[in-house]
Amino acid sequence: MPIPHDFEYAKPSSVDEALDLLSEYGKNAKVLAGGTDLANLLKQGFPVPELMIDIKGLAELYQIKLTGDELFIGSLVTFTTIIKSDIIKKKFNILWDAAHLVASNGVRNRATMVGNICSAVACMDSAAPLLVHDAFIHLKSKNNERKLPVAQWFVDNRKTAINEDELVMGVSIQLPKQKYAGSYQKLMRYSGEDLSQANVGVLALEDSSFRVAFGSVGPIPKRSLKIEHFLDQKEITAAVIEEAKAMIETVIAPITDVRATKEYRMHMTKVMFERGLKEAIERLNLLKN
Amino acid sequence: MKNYKYIGKPIVKVDGKDKVTGAALYTDDIDFGPDLLYAEIVESVHAHAMIIGIETEEALKVPEVLAVVTGKDFPYTFGLYMKDRFIFAQDRVRFYGEQIAAVVARTPKAAKMGAELVRVHYKPLPKVTSQLDAIKEDCELLHPDLENYPHVPWFFPKAHTNIAHQRKIRKGDVDKAFAESDYVLEDEYFVPRYSHCAIEPHACVAKYDLSGRLTVWASSQSPHTQRHLFAEALAPLGIRHNDVRVIAPYVGGGFGSKAGVTMEIMAAAIAIKTPGHPVKIMWSREREFYNTYQRLGVVTKLKMGVSKDGKIKALKHDLYWDAGAYVEYGANVVNAVGLSAIGPYKVDNVWIDSYCIYTNLPPGGPYRGFGYSEFLFGLEIHINRIAKHLNIDPVEIRRINGIKEGDKLAYGASMNPSGLHQAIDKAAEAIEWGKKEVSTDPKKVIGKGFSLFWKAPAMPPNASSSCFLKLNEDASVNVMISGMDIGQGLLTVMAQIAGEVLTIDPSKIRVENPDTDRNPYEWQTVASHVTWSCGNAVKKAALDAKEQIFEMVSKARFIPKDTLYLEDETVKSTQHAYFNLPLKDFMITGIPMEDGSFKGGPILGRGVFMPEFTSTKADPETSQGGHPNVHYTVGAAGIKLEIDTETGKIKILKIVEAIDAGKVLNPSLAEGQIIGGVLQGISTVLYEDMRFDQRGKMLNPNFTDYKIPTALDIPDETVPIFVEVEQPDGPFGARGIGEHPMVPIAPLIANAIFDATGIRIKSLPITAEKICLALLEKNKEEK
Amino acid sequence: MVKKLKKTNNMKKISFTLNGELRYVTIDNSDILLEVLREKLGVKSPKCGCDNGDCGACTILLNGKSVRSCLIFAAEVEGQEITTLEGISKNGLSPLQKEFLAQNSFQCGFCAPGVILASTELLNNNPHPSLLQIKEAIAGNLCRCTGYTPIIKAIQTVADRNYEKTV
Repeated sequence: MPIPHDFEYAKPSSVDEALDLLSEYGKNAKVLAGGTDLANLLKQGFPVPELMIDIKGLAELYQIKLTGDELFIGSLVTFTTIIKSDIIKKKFNILWDAAHLVASNGVRNRATMVGNICSAVACMDSAAPLLVHDAFIHLKSKNNERKLPVAQWFVDNRKTAINEDELVMGVSIQLPKQKYAGSYQKLMRYSGEDLSQANVGVLALEDSSFRVAFGSVGPIPKRSLKIEHFLDQKEITAAVIEEAKAMIETVIAPITDVRATKEYRMHMTKVMFERGLKEAIERLNLLKN
Repeated sequence: MKNYKYIGKPIVKVDGKDKVTGAALYTDDIDFGPDLLYAEIVESVHAHAMIIGIETEEALKVPEVLAVVTGKDFPYTFGLYMKDRFIFAQDRVRFYGEQIAAVVARTPKAAKMGAELVRVHYKPLPKVTSQLDAIKEDCELLHPDLENYPHVPWFFPKAHTNIAHQRKIRKGDVDKAFAESDYVLEDEYFVPRYSHCAIEPHACVAKYDLSGRLTVWASSQSPHTQRHLFAEALAPLGIRHNDVRVIAPYVGGGFGSKAGVTMEIMAAAIAIKTPGHPVKIMWSREREFYNTYQRLGVVTKLKMGVSKDGKIKALKHDLYWDAGAYVEYGANVVNAVGLSAIGPYKVDNVWIDSYCIYTNLPPGGPYRGFGYSEFLFGLEIHINRIAKHLNIDPVEIRRINGIKEGDKLAYGASMNPSGLHQAIDKAAEAIEWGKKEVSTDPKKVIGKGFSLFWKAPAMPPNASSSCFLKLNEDASVNVMISGMDIGQGLLTVMAQIAGEVLTIDPSKIRVENPDTDRNPYEWQTVASHVTWSCGNAVKKAALDAKEQIFEMVSKARFIPKDTLYLEDETVKSTQHAYFNLPLKDFMITGIPMEDGSFKGGPILGRGVFMPEFTSTKADPETSQGGHPNVHYTVGAAGIKLEIDTETGKIKILKIVEAIDAGKVLNPSLAEGQIIGGVLQGISTVLYEDMRFDQRGKMLNPNFTDYKIPTALDIPDETVPIFVEVEQPDGPFGARGIGEHPMVPIAPLIANAIFDATGIRIKSLPITAEKICLALLEKNKEEK
Repeated sequence: MVKKLKKTNNMKKISFTLNGELRYVTIDNSDILLEVLREKLGVKSPKCGCDNGDCGACTILLNGKSVRSCLIFAAEVEGQEITTLEGISKNGLSPLQKEFLAQNSFQCGFCAPGVILASTELLNNNPHPSLLQIKEAIAGNLCRCTGYTPIIKAIQTVADRNYEKTV
C-alpha cells in the first residue's frame, strides 16, 4: 500500500541536531524510532508529516544504565533488548514480563518501549509497569530539559504531555530501597500476538505496601490509589482479595468493542488482579528467603 | 496389501525446493516490465443502494491515470452455477465494499489518488443482513430479476423472493416416524460467516494484446474454469475460448477462496479496455476479507426422533443460509448440504430443506468443507444431547447409527465402501474414550468430545480431469495436468502415480503449475476430488503411455505384448528372460530395426477421467432418484481439552482424527492435511469472530482483530490416524481428504465443553469470553 | 542553526548490503522497504500478506535480526545489512532448509521465507532452543496451511544436532 505523499527525511547524528530540527519543524515533524506504529498510521491515511526525523543514529539513546538507585532506559531500547537485559530481568521484572507479551519477535526487534508510551494507545503494555514504579519520562528540547512523572504523561487515548519540540531521551525508575517484586497480567484472545483487551500491573513491596495499575480499561492507564491503600499493611487473605476485586468495579470503566465486552473485561481485570497480586507476593517471598 | 515402490511413501514434495529457497514465484512476484498498469477499485459505502451517478472527471485529471471503467463498460453477468453476478456493479450495489469502478494508472499511487477522486451518488435501499429477515413476506427483493438468471438445471430459485435456491429431501415418512419415536428433540443452532485467510491475498495480472489474445496470470484454484467464465462473460467483446489463456503460478493458499472467479474478472475486463498493456490488481488484506468469497453463515433447525435403544428414526433438518449478495457459487454449498445433511448416519425418514438466501453481505462461496462443517455443528451436538437423554454413551450411539456400505443415502442412492466403524473405534481408543480425566489445577476442568464427519465432492455430474504425459529422450517425464497444487501436494502425488505405473522414480517426473494453452482440462481444484479424479486421469495417461510402449516393442521385436512388463525403467518380458530394453533408448526416437528403419515414434500418454455414473436428475420435490455425489469420505474425531473456569480459556490437550482415505498415497502429505485442517477448524471455533456494523460493513477485516492461530496456539498433541477401505474407482484405491479434517472440529469442541462444564453452547464462535460469561451465568443460577 | 530542509520531489540514491552484496537503489523517502526490495531490487521472497506487520510474510533479517519489512522505510536501511531467503540459499541449502524440505514441512510455501528467516535467527542466537522458544520465535509468522507442527519438528531436528551459524 503506497503512502500517497512524500516527506523529507533526516537522520541526525547528534541529539542537538535532532532538537534543532524539532524546534524548526515542531508539529510538522514526526520522530521515527522503531516505526512499527508510525508506518502503519501513515498507510492508514494519517496525515503525512513534512519531515521524518530518524533518531536511530543517536547512540546515547540505546543505553540501559543503572546509576546508584536510578535505572535509566534510553528511548531507542527495543523490547528485544529489554528481554535480553539481565539488569531489567533482575531489577525491573514487571517490565521484563510485559516485554515478552508485546507483539512478536520480529516486531520486538524494532519496537521501542518509549515508542510504545509515545503512541499512548490504550492497549499499551509498557504503561502499567512504568506506573507501578512511578517512572519518570526524560524530555529534552533545544532550550529545556525536564523530567515528567509518568502519571502526568498520559493525557488521553493517543495523546501525551509531550511538547511539539521535545524529544524523549528515555525513562527512569528509582529502584525501591527495600525488596520488591512485580507481576504483569495481560488479557489476550489467545497466546499469539494480540493487543491487550485489559492489563494489570502489581508491585509488592517488602514493607507490605502495594502498587496497582490498570491499562486498556479506560482511555489512559492509571494507578489505583484506592486499592493500594486498601491493601496496604493488610494480610492478603482470600477475603481481602475478594474485597479488593469488588473495588475494581469503581475504579475502571471498560468499554465494549470488537475485541471484548465490558463485562468480560471487568471480570478478567478482577481475575488478573488476583493472579497478579498472588504472583507478585510469591515472587517477593522467594526474594525474602 | 500390495507393495508399491512410490505409492504410500512419504516422497519429498516436487515443489519443496522451490519453496524453501524462495524460488517459487507467486502471481505478484512475476515482473511485467515498465509497461505494467495498476488498477485501484472504487467500492460501495452502502450495503444496498441504487447507483444514481458516477463522476469520473476529476479522477481522469490525475497525472498518469489512463482510464476509469465502471459497470457501464461491462454490462455482462457471470457465475459458475448461476449467472447473478456482475464484473462491476450495474444499477445497484448489494454489499458494503462491492466494486463500482476501477481507476487504471501507471503507478499504484496514481491509481489510488484517482480512485479517491471518483464520486458515486447513491440512493440507499433498505438493507437485509439476516437471512431470516430476508425470507419474511414484505422484505426488500435483492434480485428482482431472479427468475431470469440462467442457472444449472438442478437449482430451483423462487421467483419474487430472496430465495435463490431450495434443495428438498423427502424420504420415507417423517411424520409417522416422529410419532413412533420414543424421544424427539428439536432445537436451533447458529453458525456465522468465516474468512479463508490464505496468507497470499488474491492477485491477478491480465493483458489483452494487440493480436486479440487475453492472457491472465492469477493465483487460482481453477485456471480452466476461469478461462471459461472469462470467455463466456466477455464474449460480447469478441472473445473466444481459445483467445483466453490462463497461467496459474504458485498459489499461496486457497481453501476455496481462489476457486471460481472473483476479482480476477475485473483485471481481465479492464485489460480489454487498455489493450497492449498488462494490468495488475493486487487485493489488500482488507479486501481479501470483505470482497472475496466468505464461508456462508447458517441457522439450522433440527428435529430428530429416536427409539429408546438409540436408533435414529427420523430427521427433519431446515437450513437457512446467509448466502450474501451473489450466490453463483454459494448456492451449490446450499445444495450440497441439502443432499447430505443427515450426516454419516443411516436415517430412513428424512426431511431436509436447505434454503439459499440473498442478504446484503459479501458473497458466500466455496470454503474448505463446503457447508459440511456448518451443518455438522448442530447435528453432532444434537446427537450428543439425545444420547445423554437416553443414557447411551455418545460413541456407542454413533456406532449404532453410523452409516455402512450399501445403506441408503438421503437421496436414495447407496453408500460407498467406507471404514467409518473402524475410524470410530480407532479414534475412541486413541482418545481413551471412557476414561475420565481430572485436572491437577482446581480452577481447571477437563472434558472429552467425540464427533463423526463426512463429505462428498460437490460437483456437476460432468466435472472432469485430463492429463497429457510426455516421455523425454532420457525417460524423464513431463506430466501435464491443470490440477493445482495449493499446498496439499497434488503435483507430488501425481508424480508418484505416474512413477508407479511407469516404474520411473518421481524425482525424474516434472509436474508443474498449468497454463491453459498447454495443459489439458481440469474442472477445478476443489471438493477434495483431484487426488481421485486427476489421479485417475494421470494413471490412465501413464497406462496409455505404457500401452503404446508395449505396442511398439511388440511390433518391433516380435514379442507377445501380454508377456511384456516394466521394471526399473526397462521393458522386460516374462517369456524372454534376456530381453531388456531401457526406456531411455526409445521414448522419442522409436525402436531401431535391423534394416536401419525405425518403428513407432514419441510416446505421448493421454488420460481423461469423468465419472459417468453421477447424475443430478432427480425429483425436484424430493431429490430422490439421483446420484449427485460420487462418494463420501468418512471419519471420526476425538478431543480432550482443559478449560480454565475463571477465564474461559481453552487448552486443547489432545485431538485425534481418523479418516478413511481409501489408500494413503503419501503419508507425510496426508498427515499434513489433518494437522493443518484440524488447526483451521479449531481456529473457527475458538478465535475467528467476524463482526459487521449497522451499515453492513465488516468491522475487523485484518489480522489484528480477526485472529488466526500462531505457533503458540496449537494443540498439545494432534494424532492423525488413517483407515484404508479402498475406494474401488480411485487411483490405487484413494479418495480425497483435503477438506475433511476441519469438518468435525466445531461440534467436537462444543461436546467436550459440555462434558467438562455442563454448559451447552449452540452458536459459534466459542471464544474464551463466551465460555467465561456462560460459566458466570451458570454459577449465578446455581446460587 | 540548521537550515530548513527544502521540500523537493525527492528521489535519492541509497546503498546497503543485500545478501552480501553492496546494492544501490533510487527511492522516495516514503517508499516502504518491502516494496523496494520486491519492485526495484528483484528480491521476491519477502511477501506482502497483510501490509501492516501482522502476518510476518514480509520478514527479512536486518543486521541479523528478523524484522517486518512492510513497516520500514527504505531510507532507514542506508548503510545496513539485509539478508533475505535468497541470501540463505546462495551457497546451497542451509541445514534448516534441508530439514524443512526432507520433512515436507511447508505446503503452499507462502509463509516459508519468513519462517525460515525467523528460525535461522533463532538457531543463530540459541542453537538448542526449547519447544516454547521455537514456538515463540515463529509466532509472528502466520501459516494457514500446516498447523505449524511439521515446521516445529524440522526446527527441533536441526536443533538437536550441532548447529553451525548460518549467515
